[in-house]
Amino acid sequence: MISQQLLLTIFLPLAGAILMWIIAPLGRHAARVVALAVTLLTLFCAGQLVMNFPPGGTVAADFAPTDAAWLANAGNLGLDIRFSVGLDGLGIWMFGLSALLFVTAVLISWESIDQREPLYYAMLLLLEFGCLGVFTARDIILFYVFFEFTLIPLFFLIGIWGSEDRRYAASKFFLFTLAGSMLTFLGLLAIVVWDRQTSGFDVFRFSIAALTESLQAHPLPREWQLLAFLALFAGFAIKVPLFPLHTWLPLAHVQAPAAGSVILAGVLLKIGVYGFLRFSVPMLPEATATLMPWMLWLAVAGIIYGALVALAQTDLKKLIAYSSVSHLGFCMLGLFALTAAGVHGSVLQMVNHGLSTGGLFAIVGMIYERYHTREISQLGGLARKTPWLAFFMVLFTFSSIGVPGLNGFAGEFLILLGMFQRAWAEAPPLLAGQLLAIAVLSVSGVVLGAWYMLWLVQRVFFGPLKEPEAASHHEIHDMSWREIAALVPLAVFVFWIGLRPGDFLSRMEPTLEAARGPAAAAVAAETRSTKSEIRNNTVISKAANALPDSVSDF
Amino acid sequence: MFVEWKTISLLWPEVILGAAATSIFVGGAFTKSRAYWAVAALVSYVVAAAALFNIGLPSAPLTGPVNIDVLSLGLRGLALLVGLVFTLIASRAADPELASEFFGSLMLVVLGVMLVASANELALLFLGLEMISIPTYVLLFLGRRDRATSEATMKYFFLSIFSSALLLYGLTLLYGISGTTILVGSGSTPGLADAFADKAALAAKPLGAIAPLALILVIAGLGFKLAIAPLQFYAPDVYQGTTNANAGLLAVAPKIAGIAGLVRLAIVALPGLSDFAWQLLLVLAVLTMTIGNICALWQSNLRRLLAYSSIAHGGYLLIGLAAAAGATSAVGAQFEGGLAAALFYVGVYALANMGAFATLAWLGSPRREVSGVDELAGLGHSHPLAAAIIAVCMFSLAGIPPLAGFWGKLTLFTSAIEIATSTAGGGMSRWFLILSVVAALNAAIAAAYYLRIVAVMFFQPQTSAPPAGGGIGALAAAILCGGLVLFVGAFPGRGLAIATQSEAGVKGDGPTLTRSVSEGLHARAMHPR
Repeated sequence: MISQQLLLTIFLPLAGAILMWIIAPLGRHAARVVALAVTLLTLFCAGQLVMNFPPGGTVAADFAPTDAAWLANAGNLGLDIRFSVGLDGLGIWMFGLSALLFVTAVLISWESIDQREPLYYAMLLLLEFGCLGVFTARDIILFYVFFEFTLIPLFFLIGIWGSEDRRYAASKFFLFTLAGSMLTFLGLLAIVVWDRQTSGFDVFRFSIAALTESLQAHPLPREWQLLAFLALFAGFAIKVPLFPLHTWLPLAHVQAPAAGSVILAGVLLKIGVYGFLRFSVPMLPEATATLMPWMLWLAVAGIIYGALVALAQTDLKKLIAYSSVSHLGFCMLGLFALTAAGVHGSVLQMVNHGLSTGGLFAIVGMIYERYHTREISQLGGLARKTPWLAFFMVLFTFSSIGVPGLNGFAGEFLILLGMFQRAWAEAPPLLAGQLLAIAVLSVSGVVLGAWYMLWLVQRVFFGPLKEPEAASHHEIHDMSWREIAALVPLAVFVFWIGLRPGDFLSRMEPTLEAARGPAAAAVAAETRSTKSEIRNNTVISKAANALPDSVSDF
Repeated sequence: MFVEWKTISLLWPEVILGAAATSIFVGGAFTKSRAYWAVAALVSYVVAAAALFNIGLPSAPLTGPVNIDVLSLGLRGLALLVGLVFTLIASRAADPELASEFFGSLMLVVLGVMLVASANELALLFLGLEMISIPTYVLLFLGRRDRATSEATMKYFFLSIFSSALLLYGLTLLYGISGTTILVGSGSTPGLADAFADKAALAAKPLGAIAPLALILVIAGLGFKLAIAPLQFYAPDVYQGTTNANAGLLAVAPKIAGIAGLVRLAIVALPGLSDFAWQLLLVLAVLTMTIGNICALWQSNLRRLLAYSSIAHGGYLLIGLAAAAGATSAVGAQFEGGLAAALFYVGVYALANMGAFATLAWLGSPRREVSGVDELAGLGHSHPLAAAIIAVCMFSLAGIPPLAGFWGKLTLFTSAIEIATSTAGGGMSRWFLILSVVAALNAAIAAAYYLRIVAVMFFQPQTSAPPAGGGIGALAAAILCGGLVLFVGAFPGRGLAIATQSEAGVKGDGPTLTRSVSEGLHARAMHPR
């Protein structure tokens, strides 16, 4: 029953997209009403699933699993590709967040999309189908199919309904992501092929659980682990995006329609972090341990670079886009700290960032709808005219910069705690200095984040009223009920996660612990061996030093 | 008697098509109705398909000039589909004065592909290939008659003859070395596969040392059909100089025949040369796909762009063949799937290409062909269905899931990576690793130009609407192919099963190929399934 509900949740948007094609002749209003109904129904089903999810998390089996042969009749090629979906602690919140954000996306597109609406909502629903699928897929190929599939609807969303430079942005987004994910594909295949060569099964297995288990029992040889890690890295790091592979992101964000930006920032970027945590870390623990400092350096470079570039922006959307680079850097930092606190914080921060940045992009969309500009210098004192908009802006800004009591604090605190734990207490001695530097540098990201976000709010919403010339011709309204309805659910979760993060953390704990276990053990083993080596060395040198003394004592 | 009744009975579909083609040629002299001959051709294809389904697999392996296995049945079915689709496309595009000649020549091309698919004998194989080439010269002239067409046709004519000569030379050497023209024989009548069973058997032959030269000539001759480097350069000029329907046919039919020929001849019949074959095929694969994809990036003419795309796909096909040859060379290792991957890929490639060319043919009219990429601007607005079909075909060619092309790439990459992660010696695993990385990068490059077509259709404002005068037949063909691409994408199992059974049948072995091919074939001869 519950399994069918998961299937229903995933396929509802697909059915909605097909329905959109049928009702296209009915025009704009029908299209958006049906889109809203489908996303609400999907949210309802997803919400029920999330509520029924065991509070202690899933340990051995997934929640609401479905497993059906997909390529079983593919002859003796032995490709055991299955249509296998389920929920676990890693996917559950991103699954729920996706369902939530798509309702917001439909609501904020309500008025702003005024051409080819049926096609627009069909693409949005297809994108939802892809997003829900990616976080529930339990088969490598199924995951990859959804992973790539999300590119197609977003490509059209940016390319048809985007701003001036949309064609270039859409193509760059698509090609950048695809180039990386082709290498990811090779990496995933290498893992699958290795499993067949060592596990003794006569078929290629594609089940993520089976592969994780098999790769932990028969790890890939070291150089192959590094190669496979780099192959996976290519796709996931571009998706995150990790510095210096982020160049497609600001462009795509600026050109995309508001709903596209919300989904891109809120859901699609997380697929990269999710991929690292689902595949790279548990399946290639040794490579993860070896490359940990490199990944951390890239993460902290992204944090600081993103924040500094955000400070220099004059365009609202671009500023928030660069802040995403910085925030996703935090997610990667927590993840590759490989401590319990860090990994939990990283996954929680994925959700937090989806809520706060999703909300911020939605608000920027609303501002653009009213003033047709995104230039910070052309706007000022909007709080006088649109107090509700200002309220939500301040709320999501506070959430984004990690004010205690709101969700951002819980995530950032855990990440920094995890990072310092790694740098201080559990660092391999040879790396201790580096890790400490990373930890200290990352804190500066928090400060910079507060700086550019508060500066933005102050410039745009407070001070003397400033509006672009063109806007004086028509009256500016505060938020409508529809717009408030789009943001309230996000705000509720901003407070909920901020006040009771335990509700969210407990459900992911067993899965995350299992995922980081082998990699953390590999780091610990390295730590022990180097420590004992150093201890041995010091013992020997002490003994050597002590020798003459003891001789002279006689 | 050279041709026995038994052989004829296995070739009923070909006999039907041959008779139908002849009557269409002759009948065309009396009635010039285009619709009439189109329907006659369609009916002949359906009847031939019915005859094909009636053949069934023989209980014991055949040793005559004709081989009936899953490979032969599958590719003949595909060839009939090609014939059906292009007859539909041409149902309005063909010159009304010369319609019967067009349909007849097309049918002979299909007949040639079918002969190649089931040939187990050098002469029959060569006859089949010529059966494809000669009507193609006529078809190229029938399409359009301007200077560009004349140039394209002459170019194709001379190069095709040149490649036939190369192939023939290679076949002669093979015959000279082995003394037989049968590809895969049995205990009493040994074929090429026995003469070239392994290096030792080869060295025992007086002319064994020149066997690699024969392989080079064979691959060159068939490589022309596949448009693989260095015999790829005719494709862009010829495609550009002819009609969309003809270009589509050139992109599909010779590829199917070429891949069938390479599988039967270079992989299965010459296991002793596999050590050399995988190296040659691997280098050619890398060269071909890189040249094709990089040159395609700058094209503004649709047919030229698709010509380079078809060159690149020829390179992808070679990945599977190189992996198959590599697997044969490293006897004892547990990998296979290369042949199945290449055969599956040629199927999905054909579907997507036919869909794209059919839509382009529909968008044009007999007076005005759609040829520039820019002519597609705004198609998403003016002809949403046509734009959707082209987009589906382009995404499939780019290998984006969940479309058919993705599964083709999946199987090809798996076959290459399997060797890369194995412990096969001689640098083989490293070379296959390089091959798979190059292939992945190429797939990313290729996406750029496929995506450009999609972007032009959906994101650019309309300049002038294409006439869309290709007729209901072309539209039906486009919908059929687009639908099949989607269907195979969602349910690839059936197609993969056919490809895998073809591989198993052609290797004459069960699920895993652990012994050398000839050993497997002997085992199969002794224990017919």
